Amino acid sequence: MAEFLNNYGFLIVTVVQQALLGMSLYYPLSAGQLSLASPGFYALGGYIAAIIGTAELFAPWRDLLGKAVFPLEWIIAGVASALLSLVIGLPALRLRGIYLALATIAFVQIVRVISLNLSITGGAIGIFGIPQLFESRWGYIWIFGPLLAATLLFTWRLEQGRIGRAFRAIREDELAAEAMGINPTRYKAQAFIIGGTLAGVVGAMSAPFLNTWNARQGTFDASIAYLAYVLIGGTRSLWGALLGAALLATLPEILRPLNDSRLIINGMVLVIVSIYLPQGIVGALARLRGAGKKKGVPAGGKT
Amino acid sequence: MTGLLDVKGVSRCFGGLKAVNDVSFRVEKGEIFGLIGPNGAGKTTLFNLISGLTPVSGGILSYDGVPLNSLPPHKVARLGIGRTFQNIRLFKGLSALENVKIARHSRTRAGLWGSVFGFPASHREEQEVKQRAGEILALVGLDNRADELASSFSYGDQRRLEIARALALEPRLLLLDEPAAGMNSAEKHGLTQFIREIRDRFNLTILLIEHHVPLVMGLCDRIAVLNFGELIALGPPAEVQKDPSVIEAYLGGD
Amino acid sequence: MTTAQFLQNLLNGISIGSVYAIFALGYTLVFSILGIINFAHGAVFTLGAYLTYAMAVGQFGINGLLSGLSIPVQLPFPVALLLGCILSGLVSVLIERLAFRPLRNRGGDALLALVSSLGVALVTVNAIQYFVGSEIYSFPPEIYGDIKPAITFSIGESVVVIRTVQVIIFGVCMAVLVSLGFLIARTRFGKALRAVAENPATASLLGISVNRFILYTFFLSGFLGGLAGSLVGTSFGVAGPYFGVTYGLQGIAVIVLGGLGSIPGSVLGGIIIGLIEAFVPPDYSAYKEAVSFALLFLILMVRPQGLLGQSQIQKV
Repeated sequence: MAEFLNNYGFLIVTVVQQALLGMSLYYPLSAGQLSLASPGFYALGGYIAAIIGTAELFAPWRDLLGKAVFPLEWIIAGVASALLSLVIGLPALRLRGIYLALATIAFVQIVRVISLNLSITGGAIGIFGIPQLFESRWGYIWIFGPLLAATLLFTWRLEQGRIGRAFRAIREDELAAEAMGINPTRYKAQAFIIGGTLAGVVGAMSAPFLNTWNARQGTFDASIAYLAYVLIGGTRSLWGALLGAALLATLPEILRPLNDSRLIINGMVLVIVSIYLPQGIVGALARLRGAGKKKGVPAGGKT
Repeated sequence: MTGLLDVKGVSRCFGGLKAVNDVSFRVEKGEIFGLIGPNGAGKTTLFNLISGLTPVSGGILSYDGVPLNSLPPHKVARLGIGRTFQNIRLFKGLSALENVKIARHSRTRAGLWGSVFGFPASHREEQEVKQRAGEILALVGLDNRADELASSFSYGDQRRLEIARALALEPRLLLLDEPAAGMNSAEKHGLTQFIREIRDRFNLTILLIEHHVPLVMGLCDRIAVLNFGELIALGPPAEVQKDPSVIEAYLGGD
Repeated sequence: MTTAQFLQNLLNGISIGSVYAIFALGYTLVFSILGIINFAHGAVFTLGAYLTYAMAVGQFGINGLLSGLSIPVQLPFPVALLLGCILSGLVSVLIERLAFRPLRNRGGDALLALVSSLGVALVTVNAIQYFVGSEIYSFPPEIYGDIKPAITFSIGESVVVIRTVQVIIFGVCMAVLVSLGFLIARTRFGKALRAVAENPATASLLGISVNRFILYTFFLSGFLGGLAGSLVGTSFGVAGPYFGVTYGLQGIAVIVLGGLGSIPGSVLGGIIIGLIEAFVPPDYSAYKEAVSFALLFLILMVRPQGLLGQSQIQKV
């Protein structure tokens, strides 16, 4: 067991962490909004944790709180990300389709360039030697695991009820949803903020996990990776992000013998899945299971 | 009878085109009011103005004394104005039951945390939503297909489902945009019965756009005729039918 | 800012702006026909730079499969450039066949086209890395022949210096823009192109083979992408397989600024972003890259249809 965790502990935690980031993109998507903003909030959360964990200024906090400083970092990161998502989301969510995606790409790029240039974020080098919460990498499963479980439970409950229905209505037809008494701005903003907050908290948890934090954490590539998790898993199910992350985050490990060419295969997977499994793995499974029945996962996703 | 919807000098321009031009009429409580006119007469535009999807360029719209002019669509819906769409805008990827449940939105209150933690009030509310949605589906005769996707329904059934969805909003004023379009004559006959039935049962006032003249004549208490955005006639069916300007508009007066 | 500095910035801005313009036109052509943003365009830009380098210089470094390789035959630069652009165009055609057309045939939505084009970009970029590693390749200064590295001229007291490469790039871009303008405005190809962009169904009724025109458009788009990449490469060096990613995103800022799908808009947007970047004060040069994104965000908030684009009315 110890040996197994030694070999695969980091990978398992990474899958869970990536699944959480996929989820952060899933919320806006479930309300029909293609937002690629998650890496921006993830980066922000990570910087908050890294700065509180290392800066001289916060030494008294660390001395006073001991390990309790970590939960405090998560809370601050969550609140800061929620506020920033509100500020970014309210103007940006007036945009539809590809325009929103482009605005959120711009947001991620702006955050990246700013963090590359500020001294508090360590410039291009970033922040090193972030204090650890656990002794081993595997230990971090005790924060990411419960967070994922809580997130899935939260999402499941959310989707059963009134708010989740409002999200779906907006995704299906925003105008009709409006005519049925749903305020689209409000629910699009809610979905966006939930996603942003989650990404921020995951960032704050990831800074110690990765030990170092720099501008490479929040990039366009990351946006695409998270989007790929959700799309490959399935955009219409809360399990999609988890499944997609499990597949795409372990794929490089499985393909390790191929070394340099593994990202090539990753790219091919993206192309093939978008063409042949447009509803993702969950969608395909549901269709297999529902073959013959009329029920099940509907055809054709919507942007 | 007292007025429920008051349309006073309402206009809407798109660029240079006056889609609706200085139209005035009043829909009384409990009435079934028909809106007819040739294609492009501005009927659907008028619906969109009432439901807030298109802002008015001039004039005053009021519902039960409340001005509608600057209200966004979701607030108009909340006031009790439900509608259907000419080209059917169901939530196609969702089940029939979900379509109807969604329309309960403004009549329920559960917030994010209430939903997630299942507070007793939210739980009770959710049960009630389910029950009400089921009842309404039963009313339109689709309760045995509650879990099927809206997109799998036939045209006529989609129209009925759309009406069910609008009813779930608990409207007092129901706007029906060509409810009989694409239906066969048996279905049309059933629709007439059905519209009367829901009017009586839910105490509704109904404003409807329809092309099928016999259906309008047989169903409506009063009719307004639009042509090129202008109101050219208003009155009971028998009167309107004889109005020379209406005949001209329909037959073309060139 | 002195007059000389001003002029210098202006010329530099117009020069790099003209490269942005031809690069952005590659996006615009595809967008105007298919209504999608081809995210693989940035990868074609990179590939074009490497292809031109391989044929004109052919010296490889110490990384990747081709490490230490030195191609014995080198083509004259103009020939290498032309071939590089043509090959980029062909790769773009290949991308259309492999990643876009199957999706169109299956009626997949625009979101999936985005992902599939990103997948292609990922494949292309990493394939480049696989072959040549991630080191920086520079074109030798004499690539454009025996010319002075800089042109100087004086205005009153002050002296204006501009790199000759910038002038050449500007000239090439202008020539391409003019020919492209002619192609679109005057030829049968251009007319058909506009017809397909306007309405593919009607166009095919008129006897235009839509799929063939889409292929031509991708070829042209890839040609322009490869050209932009090669030109930037000769000016600033080819900074690794990922160097197209930033340019790719910047190109998107350009087309949104100009108006998605608008051909004059792309040219205007390119020049504007080039100028703005050139005028970023040296103290803030590190933020240069953020300027176009800040502008992108801003324009989306204020005028999402861009400077020359047309707003779309939603139909109820």
